[in-house]
Amino acid sequence: MPASPARSRPPRLWWLAVLVFALVLPQAAPAAGGGNISVSDDRGRSVELSEPAQRIVSLAPHLTELLFAVGAGDRIVATVAHADYPDAARSIPRVGTAAQLDLEGLLAASPDLVIAWGSGSPGTALERLEKLGITVYYSEPGDFAGIAADLRRLGRLAGQPERGVREARAFLNAVATLREEFGERPEVSVFYQVWDQPLMTVNDGHLIGEAIRLCRGQNVFGHLDSLVPRPGLETVIAADPEAIVSGGPGEDREDWLEAWRDWNQLTAVQRDNLFFIPPSLLQRHTPRLADGTRMLCEALELARERRAGPRR
Amino acid sequence: MSASLLSLDGLVIDIPGRPAGMALDFPLLPGECWGLLGPNGAGKTTLLHTLAGLRRPRAGQVRLDGDDLHRMPRRRIAQRLGLVFQDHHDGFPSTVLETALIGRHPFLRAWNMENAQDHDLARQALSRMDLGDLAGRQVQTLSGGERQRLALATLLTQDPPLWLLDEPTNHLDLHHQVAVLDLVREEVASGSRGAVMALHDLNLAATYCTHLVLMYPDGGMCWGPTSEIFHVQALERLFRQKLAVIDSPEGPWVRPVPGDRRTLA
Amino acid sequence: MSTTEGAATLARTGWTLGVLGAGAVASVLSSVMLGSVNLPARDVASVFFGEGSALARLLVLELRLPRTLAAFATGGLLAVAGALMQVLLRNPLADPYVLGISGGAAVGALLTMISGLGLAWISGSAFAGALLSTLIVFGLAHGTGSWTPTRLLLTGVVVAAGWGAVITFLLAVRPSPELPGMLYWLMGDLAHARGNVLPWLTLIVIVGLALPLGRSLNVLARGPLQAAVLGVSVRRLEWTVYLLAALVTAVAVTTAGTIGFVGLIIPHMLRLVIGNDQRLLLPASALAGGILLTLADTLARTVIAPEQLPVGVITAMLGVPVFLYLLYRSRT
Repeated sequence: MPASPARSRPPRLWWLAVLVFALVLPQAAPAAGGGNISVSDDRGRSVELSEPAQRIVSLAPHLTELLFAVGAGDRIVATVAHADYPDAARSIPRVGTAAQLDLEGLLAASPDLVIAWGSGSPGTALERLEKLGITVYYSEPGDFAGIAADLRRLGRLAGQPERGVREARAFLNAVATLREEFGERPEVSVFYQVWDQPLMTVNDGHLIGEAIRLCRGQNVFGHLDSLVPRPGLETVIAADPEAIVSGGPGEDREDWLEAWRDWNQLTAVQRDNLFFIPPSLLQRHTPRLADGTRMLCEALELARERRAGPRR
Repeated sequence: MSASLLSLDGLVIDIPGRPAGMALDFPLLPGECWGLLGPNGAGKTTLLHTLAGLRRPRAGQVRLDGDDLHRMPRRRIAQRLGLVFQDHHDGFPSTVLETALIGRHPFLRAWNMENAQDHDLARQALSRMDLGDLAGRQVQTLSGGERQRLALATLLTQDPPLWLLDEPTNHLDLHHQVAVLDLVREEVASGSRGAVMALHDLNLAATYCTHLVLMYPDGGMCWGPTSEIFHVQALERLFRQKLAVIDSPEGPWVRPVPGDRRTLA
Repeated sequence: MSTTEGAATLARTGWTLGVLGAGAVASVLSSVMLGSVNLPARDVASVFFGEGSALARLLVLELRLPRTLAAFATGGLLAVAGALMQVLLRNPLADPYVLGISGGAAVGALLTMISGLGLAWISGSAFAGALLSTLIVFGLAHGTGSWTPTRLLLTGVVVAAGWGAVITFLLAVRPSPELPGMLYWLMGDLAHARGNVLPWLTLIVIVGLALPLGRSLNVLARGPLQAAVLGVSVRRLEWTVYLLAALVTAVAVTTAGTIGFVGLIIPHMLRLVIGNDQRLLLPASALAGGILLTLADTLARTVIAPEQLPVGVITAMLGVPVFLYLLYRSRT
């Protein structure tokens, strides 16, 4: 959407044109393609492009999702394995996995922007890309606000600044709505299961931990130091959470929850407070986190209802 | 008086667990062939290894050209004496010729490869040991006797002035036993070499050695020219075995008297 | 007669090194021409003449060539280290890692990754860990006196096991986000190979030392007493060989992680064909090890492209059949 270039006007309106132009120019600059795009990424580095990126490589499934969310999906020329949302992402060519990149394929795709996952992408490979002069944006949102920031910044980098701002606002609104609905509710002790062999959960500092807090859940392992602690089975049983929420080996397999049913001395089992939330809705740092958090809040609400009396 | 090849200077060998024995004090001169006699455990191998600088003495010194052997660089020692061990280990596969060639190691500088002359020496040594046809064979395939002769060929290739031999007749058939000892005597008699041999066979020792050392299990030693030392009483005491002596033009022959188990003082 | 003997040895040496040299060139070329992106051979060739498409120049000069060179140097270093260890310990089953060097390097690297220090620190601490392990094993084995190969081997095996336990502990207790990268490093990974100067410098120096040290090593292989009596300073030589082998292994492990199998198999295979003269075996091991690892790495990154296999798996799959064949043939 380029602004119309300044055309010569009759002299008496010349100064008006300059004034208008001076006011319009800053907002229109990125769209005019004549100025710099400069954002700072989640590592505090400054990422600059002279014009919106046309060939983007995304190095994690959730980053692909974020790009599609800001309307830049058609600009992704390559991504990594397991990028499966939305459906259009499945047909994008792969260049390896998040942990093991195929650098040749990546370079052959001639990207002008690479979106990397701060904690998941291999450092040496990214170092090499930067040395070759390729622009890299590191994404590592630690909280809801971080996801919103990523949406805005990616929108700007991909030439969709207004869409980015819109999506960020929609996401934050959804979160705010959840806070309104559930923010005052009584606490429910909860155990969130990330993996089963070994048993893995999250602490309060994790993004999922923040979601739990929002729903007024009390993560029984929230106080631990490690971001992804590995408690023993005994510890979980001793903690006796009121609700158990888990993902699974797939998007619709509740195997891990079924395994908990054997322990019928647990409160959560007795009250049937075993809740499955598809992992991609909670474990990916995307706008769908709002959906996952809603499911989480509703599950905990159900747990509160079941406090009243015997199971329905 | 020619310079000694090696000089034993109050030398007491170190056998772990045994109190110190008698000190040995004599020079090894060229033209002399010394025989070490004694029962197992008396320390024959220990003495040979001490003379070669492989073991430290409990007291005293071994001197080479007047200097303490143990303070010398090994390379210099290896140019002056060689030792044929009782047992032979060949960690990795190699050929007979390669094994003989290692005898040239003390004389080659680090950056040198073996030249034609070295190969000649090795081949001559092999043929003197009756192994000329086996040059290309793998050592693992040799019989005990062939391997023993190969060890001697290595020594011949090295060709040092002093030869130390630990039971050189082990594994050898009679023909080769005599051939080897003839060779030793011949080389020593030429005047520029000396030898020290640990032997089990009393008669061979009497025949081939100019001097003897009797090594008693309690650490006692006596040494000297064969004619003085080779006496039946001393030998009976050494081996705790009754012996019968037969005189012959070549000298006395001893043989054990079977069944006589009297412990002799 | 002996001049022909000498000439025959020289001819065999020349022939062996010539064949291996040609193999080295072939493996390097094929590694540079193949990759997960299909570049026509002509395009690749033109890069070396200063032309070629921008993409070809980028892939060949920035990605494939450095990785190929790193693979070759690492393979050569591991094979030479294996040969030296086998002589030192007088045991054909020795490999470069038997004395715990790789364990120390791994712990150094892992601690750096966990503490979040930069990537440049990882190589440095891997190297430091390797050398520390060397000193520990050496010091413990020396103990109160004589230092036999058996004692060194036993000490090394125990220390290696100790490092293994530390590694498992670190992996279990602090699963850092670098975990996949760390596991790949433990299996051996040339994708993260950093820098070519050190591995190549080390390789050239160690092969250069093969000639002066070689004959002494040949004699040492016959046993310490026999070697001493033939003029070898046994203790000093053993120290030297141990430190050299440790240094060489440390450089290899720091470059590409712990790639197994090369150090054990290459010297063996060559010994079956060319005998045990270290003056020939060491340079030949360097070439053959480089060839094996370069081929293995080429396969590792092309067979299931765009994904990669761990290179240690490929070295085993390539090396085992060839070794068994040579072993079978040498029975007769």
